[in-house]
Amino acid sequence: MVDKKALRVALVGRPNTGKSSLFNRLTGLSQKVGNYPGVTMEKRTGLIKLAPGVLAEIIDLPGIYSLHPSSPDEQVVMDSFLNENVDEKIDVVIGLADGTNLKTCLFVFTQIIDLGIPAVLAVTMSDEMERKGMELDVLGLSESLGVPITLVNGRLGHGIKELQDNILTASVSQNIPFFQPGGLHLEWINKVSEDKNFDIPYKSWLFGLRGSEYEELISSTGKTIARARADEAIKRYRRVNEWLREFFVTHPGKDRRWTARLDRWAVNPFWGSIILLILMFLLFQALFFGSEAPMNFIDDQFAQLSNILKSNLPNGFLSHLITNGIIPGIAGVLIFIPQIAILFGLISLLEESGYMSRVVFIMDRFMRPFGLSGKSVVPMVSGTACAIPAIMSTRNMENSREKWLSIAVAPLITCAARLPVYALLISLVIPDQTFFGLSLRGLVLFSLYMIGFFAALLGSAALNKIMPEAQSNPFLLEMPSYRFPQLRNVGHAIINRTKSFVTEAGKIILAISVVLWFFASFGPGKTPDFTQDYEAIPIEDSYVGKMGKAIEPVMKPLGFDWKVSIAVLSSFVAREVFVGTMATLYSVDDNEKSSIREQMAKQKDPETGEPYFNLAVGVSLLLFYAFAMQCMSTYAVVARETRSHKFAAIQFLILGILAYGASFLSYSILA
Amino acid sequence: MYLSDLKIGQKAIVLQASISLPVKLYEMGCMPGEEIELNYAAPFSGPMCFLVQGTLISMRKELAQLVPITEPNVKSLTNG
Ligand SMILES: Nc1nc2c(ncn2[C@@H]2O[C@H](COP(=O)(O)OP(=O)(O)O)[C@@H](O)[C@H]2O)c(=O)[nH]1
Repeated sequence: MVDKKALRVALVGRPNTGKSSLFNRLTGLSQKVGNYPGVTMEKRTGLIKLAPGVLAEIIDLPGIYSLHPSSPDEQVVMDSFLNENVDEKIDVVIGLADGTNLKTCLFVFTQIIDLGIPAVLAVTMSDEMERKGMELDVLGLSESLGVPITLVNGRLGHGIKELQDNILTASVSQNIPFFQPGGLHLEWINKVSEDKNFDIPYKSWLFGLRGSEYEELISSTGKTIARARADEAIKRYRRVNEWLREFFVTHPGKDRRWTARLDRWAVNPFWGSIILLILMFLLFQALFFGSEAPMNFIDDQFAQLSNILKSNLPNGFLSHLITNGIIPGIAGVLIFIPQIAILFGLISLLEESGYMSRVVFIMDRFMRPFGLSGKSVVPMVSGTACAIPAIMSTRNMENSREKWLSIAVAPLITCAARLPVYALLISLVIPDQTFFGLSLRGLVLFSLYMIGFFAALLGSAALNKIMPEAQSNPFLLEMPSYRFPQLRNVGHAIINRTKSFVTEAGKIILAISVVLWFFASFGPGKTPDFTQDYEAIPIEDSYVGKMGKAIEPVMKPLGFDWKVSIAVLSSFVAREVFVGTMATLYSVDDNEKSSIREQMAKQKDPETGEPYFNLAVGVSLLLFYAFAMQCMSTYAVVARETRSHKFAAIQFLILGILAYGASFLSYSILA
Repeated sequence: MYLSDLKIGQKAIVLQASISLPVKLYEMGCMPGEEIELNYAAPFSGPMCFLVQGTLISMRKELAQLVPITEPNVKSLTNG
């Protein structure tokens, strides 16, 4: 718990005003990532010492264009300000304004002033203002606003100290109210103030205009909610424009030169698409191949650790649990870190530089028919490496509908873990022939990738049709100026995401893997002999083996015998476990893939005497692996990102049904 | 005329709409009386990006078709 005496200081401003940079500057490594209650949105906070004896909790609120909410992000911000709970009340606001884009930023800031909360203004990008020859009369504007203003440079940390001092004085100073709603609106505003106990009329104004509760009363004034909000916006901009004419000198044309020059390429219908394609290809490459070495390293280290412990610990249940249950479980969590770090580093670069908005702009037309937005491109591309980072990347999407859709279909995209399974099965049942000069096996592999991709898009389109229409959220996107990314911000993004994965999804993964270890190592009435040199019980006698045999009748229509059923079940740890389980079942050395293949090829169907792994069984298995969400880590991450085990469980079920259906169909046709 | 009729580089003034437009448009700075310029557009009737009040704002063509404007200032095409 945070000390009650800590001053609660919130950072508020439009997106891309340098809010994260300032937050990172203010809090450094003391920042924590949590969640807003009830929504799947990150809440970053950090406890700092403002002055001797004065603690402050800095809260990084999501970027907003207005206090009137049009998006879930803006809803969160408004709720934080209308919250009258003493423990959660915000004491001071640091408003942010990009000095090179003051007009629209000051618009939001005037709304904040009217909340009657002590506020200070941080004008960011002071270095860019200087370079572009912009001049701001800080004192003049500060007097007109009634609020202390600090010029800051989030890149170099200039102005931070002064800002901190201003926070201390702001807590006692008084700002001048700016827009006082009243006149014909007075009646309903008073009613809201009474109902909700708001001390400030502007809070009642915000609350009243946010939904249908007071709509009737409001419309009796002859104005619609939209009209009232529009009137407010016009008034505010008029005033902001007056201020800027008085206190701000700029040289138009000069300020957007670089951005305009880069955009000539970046959003060009032809070159823009090519640049995007190349960048996404590089992202895939970095994710797929860049993570290989560190992943192998983690794998090896833990295998060694496990071996060292095995030979040093006394035989027994505990040592078995540690070396076969817990250590592989921890390894199974940490193994994802390279991919998560790489992906979030790259996403952060895309966002920081301002290019991500261009991705959304270019891709919007193509993703819309599927209910997705341009931002869904990132989870789709990352999904080809692994669903875990792909699903985590949806955190950067504001529109919750597209976020849900992306999470729901991400596991369908062919990930790297499916490859060993596909490779084994394809080499087993697809003849090594060419088809119009192309390798047949290669074609089948390619088709499986396409199946995954189209299943994801079509699945999303279908869900989009079924999902109840959300409040319409107009597609309005600001294109920020291009800026050179700051490594400090990229570093914080990587650390925060990795930390939250390990501590949150990691817990679930570890728990499931210990449970699965138990099911694989023990059987009904069977306990492995721990006293002697450890000898595992035969897998068919374990709980997993029994379950596999029990579900054989259900799996029979897919062409799966009990051995395949066991392998399918145990693949829930991770899909590639299929190969290892097959090896165990056919008692071959784990490391020799070719011998597994030979053993499998020798298996005869007991009824016909023909080879068991024929085309029908092989294709049925391939399709099963293409659709099923056989991955406990995916389950864990979905549960964590959606804050709902129900969502993850339903997704698991639906994808399971899809898999069963596809396998059943193909087997019925081919067998 | 509407925003969607602008050609790249053309400028016009936003007019008061007779229907109710998303208020977010106003709040982002795109409001009656302001000068607006089409900076670029995505292919296949994708989103369009306008410069208004010093900010670049992208919107879908469907929305741009609803925002009324004055006749574009053709001179700006040649003057850059
Ligand atoms: N030149 C300059 N760039 C800055 C400054 N502060 C932030 N930036 C850059 O502006 C971009 C947006 O900043 P960020 O902190 O991510 O903004 P947020 O979206 O408001 O959180 C990033 O590329 C930052 O590196 C500054 O004071 N000067």
